[in-house]
Amino acid sequence: MTKPQTIEPEGEWGALSSLPGNPLMWVLIISELLVFGAFFLGFGVARVLHPDLFRAGQAMLDIRLGGLNTLILVTSGWLAAKAVQARAHGDVAVSRRWAAGAMALGVAFLVVKGVEYADKAAHGIGIETDTFFTLFFLMTGFHAMHVIMGLVLLAIVAWKNSLENMETGAAFWHMVDLIWLILFPIVYLVR
Amino acid sequence: MTIPDANAATSRRLLRAWALLVGLTVISLTVSLGFGQAETGLAAAAISLTASYFKASAVLDHFLDLRRAGKGWRGFFSTMLVVLLGGLMATYVAAG
Repeated sequence: MTKPQTIEPEGEWGALSSLPGNPLMWVLIISELLVFGAFFLGFGVARVLHPDLFRAGQAMLDIRLGGLNTLILVTSGWLAAKAVQARAHGDVAVSRRWAAGAMALGVAFLVVKGVEYADKAAHGIGIETDTFFTLFFLMTGFHAMHVIMGLVLLAIVAWKNSLENMETGAAFWHMVDLIWLILFPIVYLVR
Repeated sequence: MTIPDANAATSRRLLRAWALLVGLTVISLTVSLGFGQAETGLAAAAISLTASYFKASAVLDHFLDLRRAGKGWRGFFSTMLVVLLGGLMATYVAAG
């Protein structure tokens, strides 16, 4: 005789249950923030060890391109939040349109990043140029891979458009936004 | 509050959060570009990192809707941001 299946009670995730969306996505968000946080602090320590190298490297970055990408990403985050809002009100078609807008800006972010990388390559700068550019390409490249993953996730949740799916996909996208909001000042602005 | 009212209030809140993010980004850029492509200086670094804290908080509270969670979670993320950005400011100062 098989044991009857029980319905999991509310609050199965403990403290995580009070967070909006899928609790596992929050586990991922916290993990990613800790990983990137360690990366960023490593970047800060490397700056202490090689201050002149970092000054020279940062002087070769284009603040305007970094700023443009920040504006693109925060606007994309707003569109993703609107997609969740529309889905919460049962409007699947409108939710998909907002998500498509968020994805279009995500692609624009990658295009700007590509322009920036191409410019560096044209000047003979690569990942092995020096410690600063190794960290620059690793941090921004790792973040760009998360943007690509976020685009895939947004496409999936726009297609399979339940409220929980949309909340979860948008949460990943906001996490990518959040990481950039810390990466941008420490790499481009604080010099 | 009716459902359309609540929807309109959410739209306004999200729009305000977006405007705050854009405004703080423009302030950070203006402060940094004001110093040209050379060093920004301590004050500009502090402004940029403080702006980053408020931007990250806005994304957490409004886009990720963390304001719906308890004070404990908001405190946890806020502490995480303060430790990270404070640590980064400390390394900037130490680099001289």
